[in-house]
Amino acid sequence: MVDVAMVGAGQTKFGNHPLGLKGMWSEAIEKAFSSVDNDCLPNMVDEAFIGSIAFGGSQLGNTAALLTEHSGMDGVSVRRVENACASSGFALRDAWMTIKSGQADIVVAGGIEKMNDLSAERKRYWLGVSGDTEWERLAGLTFPGTYALTARRYFHEFESTHDDLVHVSVKNHMHGFDNEMAHLRKDVSFEKARSGFMVADPLTLYDCCPTSDGASAVILVADHLAHQFTDTPIWVKGSGAGSDKLALHDRPSLTQLRATQLASQKAYSIADVQPSQIDLAEVHDCFTIAEVLATEDLGFAGRGEGGIFARNGQGRRNEGDVTINASGGLKSKGHPLGATGTGQAVEVFKQLRHQVEAPRQVRDAEIGLTHNVGGSGATCAVHIFGRER
Amino acid sequence: MPITKSSIGNTVFATSIYGDQWAGSDGDRLTIALQLLQSETASTIQIDSFVDSLEYTPSTPVSSIIESTTDWRVDPNGQYRLIASNSSFIVALTEDGNSPKWPDSSPGKSIDVELKTALDEAWVTEVSGVSQGAYISQSQHMLAMPSRLGLHAQEDASTIVWPPRQLNAEGVRIPPASNKLDSNASILTWTRLSAAGAPSEFSLRAPLLGGISTVLVEFASGPKGVFMLADDENGQASIGQEVSFEVRRLYGQDNLIHYGLKALLI
Repeated sequence: MVDVAMVGAGQTKFGNHPLGLKGMWSEAIEKAFSSVDNDCLPNMVDEAFIGSIAFGGSQLGNTAALLTEHSGMDGVSVRRVENACASSGFALRDAWMTIKSGQADIVVAGGIEKMNDLSAERKRYWLGVSGDTEWERLAGLTFPGTYALTARRYFHEFESTHDDLVHVSVKNHMHGFDNEMAHLRKDVSFEKARSGFMVADPLTLYDCCPTSDGASAVILVADHLAHQFTDTPIWVKGSGAGSDKLALHDRPSLTQLRATQLASQKAYSIADVQPSQIDLAEVHDCFTIAEVLATEDLGFAGRGEGGIFARNGQGRRNEGDVTINASGGLKSKGHPLGATGTGQAVEVFKQLRHQVEAPRQVRDAEIGLTHNVGGSGATCAVHIFGRER
Repeated sequence: MPITKSSIGNTVFATSIYGDQWAGSDGDRLTIALQLLQSETASTIQIDSFVDSLEYTPSTPVSSIIESTTDWRVDPNGQYRLIASNSSFIVALTEDGNSPKWPDSSPGKSIDVELKTALDEAWVTEVSGVSQGAYISQSQHMLAMPSRLGLHAQEDASTIVWPPRQLNAEGVRIPPASNKLDSNASILTWTRLSAAGAPSEFSLRAPLLGGISTVLVEFASGPKGVFMLADDENGQASIGQEVSFEVRRLYGQDNLIHYGLKALLI
């Protein structure tokens, strides 16, 4: 079967972006194509998959065609991929499967979201429509509430306190401080993170990722073309995805994400890689408790030991076996919903090619992982990348 | 919220704990009436004039709400009549064909007048305004009403299923609800959302109430669910604590009031 290589990757800075949709997408595409070592042009693309929740409703239909029109990909077979915050993680998976199946040779996967030009009311509306609207939202839940329920239950079931989440927040802010693409470039002290404004008890402002604007895109090619474009392709060694009940209360466990477990098992199996071989992982820390769960569900920590993992600083850059969220993660780099998944891939692409700014480089990075979750865990896509095929 | 009952002859009256001046932050004549009916031996009931006394139109018919949440059956020729005062928050259940003589006003628990006024205004704005909230259609509210208001549950291969599901893993349609969940449940986890963290449906009322609390509970028969916590001014939820349920207003949208169950700490 065809192997898949990533030969280019680019993104806008995440944050409160001055550019509109077309401007952000075209910037990400421009950067992705210019990152390819040898000539690769938008009009060479066979297929494109673009993740988005829909820009706060401003372009619900034919979103993808609007974007390709403004990025030199006129005529390309394109569609929007929607799986809430995992939209572009699934766009990446769809792109990977398209090449794997032999249906296309050059495929763009990307994502985009524009949230910060919405009123506070509209923003809250769009942020809360990816849970179970009928049975969760109308009981007063938005995602801060859902993850707060998970965090409190986690503290009850395991040897963990809110301080463990503070460690996650401090680490990710520290990682993001040096990242020019990050939304919140702030070095946050333990005491400051610990005493943040209570958003959803027990989660404070420092446990919650920001709402960001941004776009990201990667270029995948079939193996026979990889070396035409670069001498250092990054191979997509494995892709896995899974789903779970939409509502938290319908799941057997409140402190595990089954979708992550299913997705990572498939990805590890296809890549023939063990969790212990991963050098860096970009995990979906929309809330700090989500990173704690991810370290367990992805196999970096044992069940109930994610809090201890964070407390011991095991995910800090170049301090443990694996660096968790070298980019700053969603917490610091930002979370432009549909752009987050391929944004994670952009970071791994640069890290594995040893092309990030010096203080941010994960030493001897050979294998990286991305973990992109939709909503409170209803969908998840995991990808494993390597310098070696 | 407990109701206060009194009687004159064969007519039973009910008010909220605030007397006949207010039904509370998420109560109204209908929520008082439902509690009154639940506290009396069920029979058949006429509701025509009662429906006219409601401040806002419910998103589902009052008769369906009554029959989903109580054992009473609505009948134009019913044995009893449900009546509410148009000028105060008092509800009467009577066998008498004549209009009841309403009892003298009773004070009840003291009311924070400023808060009451602000909440009443918030409801007016919320119901009549164009909401930025999530949209659940009237037909969907109607379809799920027995489960939402009456905790009616399905059974699939000896497993109690709630909220309702369509097909099981074998692709077989799960039969309609035939069970009723327990009236109490145990808190597995809870949170209190600040006004800033609350869904936009609650954006007018949440700041006035200092946020909203939500509990995730487990029923003894297995299903779990999330509910807003009502009347939590004087208590804080804890894991393992028992809750009961009452019908309250959830939110207003498109000139309709949507009702649902809320949890109360026991």
